[in-house]
Amino acid sequence: MSVTDFWTPFELNSFLNALFIGLSIASIWLIAAVGLTIIYGTMGVINMAHGELIMLGAYTTYVLQTFFYIPFLLCLPLVFIIVSIFGLFIERTIIRRLYNRPLDTLLATWGLSLILIQGVRVIFGTAPKYVSIPSWLNFQVSLGFLHLPGFRLFIILATAALIFATWYIAYRTTWGIRVRAVMADPDMASSFGIDSNRIYSITFAYGAGLAGVAGALFGGLKTLLPDMGSGYIVEAFLVVVVGGTQLLGSIFSSIILGELASIFSYFTNDTFARFVLFTLIVIFLRFRPQGLITEGMKRR
Amino acid sequence: MSANIYHNRKAQWLAYIGLFCLLALVPALFDSPFLLNQLARYAVFAMLAVSVSLVWGYGGILSLGQGIAFGLAAYGMGMTMQMQFQDPVSDPVPSFMLTNDLSTLPLLWEPFWSTPIGLALTIAVPTIFFIGFGAMMFQARVAGVFVAIMTLAMLAAWYAMAYDMQPFTSGFNGISPPMPFEFAGVSIDPYSPTAYLICVGFLAALTLSAKLLMQSKFGLIVQAIRDDPERVRFLGYNVAYYQVIVFAISGFIAACGGLCWVMVVQYVSPTSLELTLSVSAVIWAAVGGRLSLLGAILGAYLVNGLQSYMGDELQDVWMIVLGSIFIGVVLFLPRGLVGLIEDALGYFTGKSETETSGVAIERAV
Repeated sequence: MSVTDFWTPFELNSFLNALFIGLSIASIWLIAAVGLTIIYGTMGVINMAHGELIMLGAYTTYVLQTFFYIPFLLCLPLVFIIVSIFGLFIERTIIRRLYNRPLDTLLATWGLSLILIQGVRVIFGTAPKYVSIPSWLNFQVSLGFLHLPGFRLFIILATAALIFATWYIAYRTTWGIRVRAVMADPDMASSFGIDSNRIYSITFAYGAGLAGVAGALFGGLKTLLPDMGSGYIVEAFLVVVVGGTQLLGSIFSSIILGELASIFSYFTNDTFARFVLFTLIVIFLRFRPQGLITEGMKRR
Repeated sequence: MSANIYHNRKAQWLAYIGLFCLLALVPALFDSPFLLNQLARYAVFAMLAVSVSLVWGYGGILSLGQGIAFGLAAYGMGMTMQMQFQDPVSDPVPSFMLTNDLSTLPLLWEPFWSTPIGLALTIAVPTIFFIGFGAMMFQARVAGVFVAIMTLAMLAAWYAMAYDMQPFTSGFNGISPPMPFEFAGVSIDPYSPTAYLICVGFLAALTLSAKLLMQSKFGLIVQAIRDDPERVRFLGYNVAYYQVIVFAISGFIAACGGLCWVMVVQYVSPTSLELTLSVSAVIWAAVGGRLSLLGAILGAYLVNGLQSYMGDELQDVWMIVLGSIFIGVVLFLPRGLVGLIEDALGYFTGKSETETSGVAIERAV
């Protein structure tokens, strides 16, 4: 690599392709970050084990496929249920003791992530595992100069569906109203008869389930390794914090960050793009620590 | 006021000096180069833990980016040692650059021909970076979780950079200088008592200065900011100024650690900028007791010693053990192991009122 070929010259067609790749990156980051957004936004819990919940989702899919011969599409809801039950267990045993101590949740969940990584490594070994995706998703859409792998398109659609479902639950159901009430003011919500502990449990389980589904989808893109989750956690957190810990904010920030990542890596390369992007995010947070979108509610 | 001997300053200084004398005596007691090298590595880890204790335990700033200073300094030291091996006339360019199609030495590497300038840069660059980075964050009154996330992002950015700039840093492979570090004509063998004593000397000097600083008026203000930044601001202090200074000092300590690290392992790679190292440092400080510099040192020695001597059959589950210990400490021992010592001493040496109960942050050691 010399300095001259470090910069890729601009070319419209491949640049447009890069924009699509950006959308694909955005969908991956978003789906990794939705669960985190809900957990952090509602409970103020920094779940560093979120990446490992994604990893568990991927391995669960692998187990369901390999030992129970369950088709991929049916795996998705099953993984959601299994991982959210696990999330419920974590919430009951660890997280529950640490409300009002956000920094300690960060540390305790980091310890948890060490346990999960090593636990999976002991059970499944270090050899990479694979999730097979249905053959009907193995197509390639070619629109002139655009080339879209079918599975990436599927992930974008799945992300959209999950976001819609989450939005619907949060804004169109009584349960969602309760969650948002607890989010806005836990004490006031309690005095109206909402059991905030129960809301926290279910919210954490739901967020964990979403991470599991994300893992099932990522399993189709990449090989499964016990430490695969750590590759997502930083990006997912940045999406959440830049977005302002809200569903809408996370959608915007993941699209912006995904596109920027893709554009930077189009002109330079992947890792340098990461450097530029992370530095930009740090500078952005310096000027707007509350993130892109805020609802003027209590913070920190 | 309690009469707990744990809070007695003279006793504290005795404990600190006793520990460092004990560490300094190790080469006289054991004649094992392997053990000395291993203990020198622990001393480096202890420096990292002290830097965490200072910034987090005393300053109330949870930084996940201590590895930035450590890693940058490690690269600086690696470059210095590599250039000691190169010859200006016959062999001016390190071999990994030649295999990466660089035929001339990059400008970035030029200053490292001179060992004193190289060492100065090794320490100055991370410290200045921490001043700038800290000023950027704390002037904007970024606090709590957001500092953790921002330092995390910055660390990830530097990691990507070290990984990617292969012609300059040798990327994933890292730089392994062929010869031990040479200073003032003396070659410092990584397995020698000299190398070990340099590491312990650094650790002792840094820790004692940090303790002295934290007992001064400056240190008291820093701890007051940890407990209630708003109130200190109302009293007319420039909170950001104190936070930047304590952040920069912690960066300086971590940078000294990075320098010693490459001296004793003769190798530097992007792993020193990995998140794992930075979070491990937080774990060591938390397990030992982040409110005490001595506690952080003990934590670093204890956790690393446990890892080394737990036996081969248990190595597989080491991460599970470490994770469980860490969760246990966070849940039940927020003051770490020295918190237990504090309670025990309080129990034996006098009434401790209600001071030692609960989670509340107490007078630091």
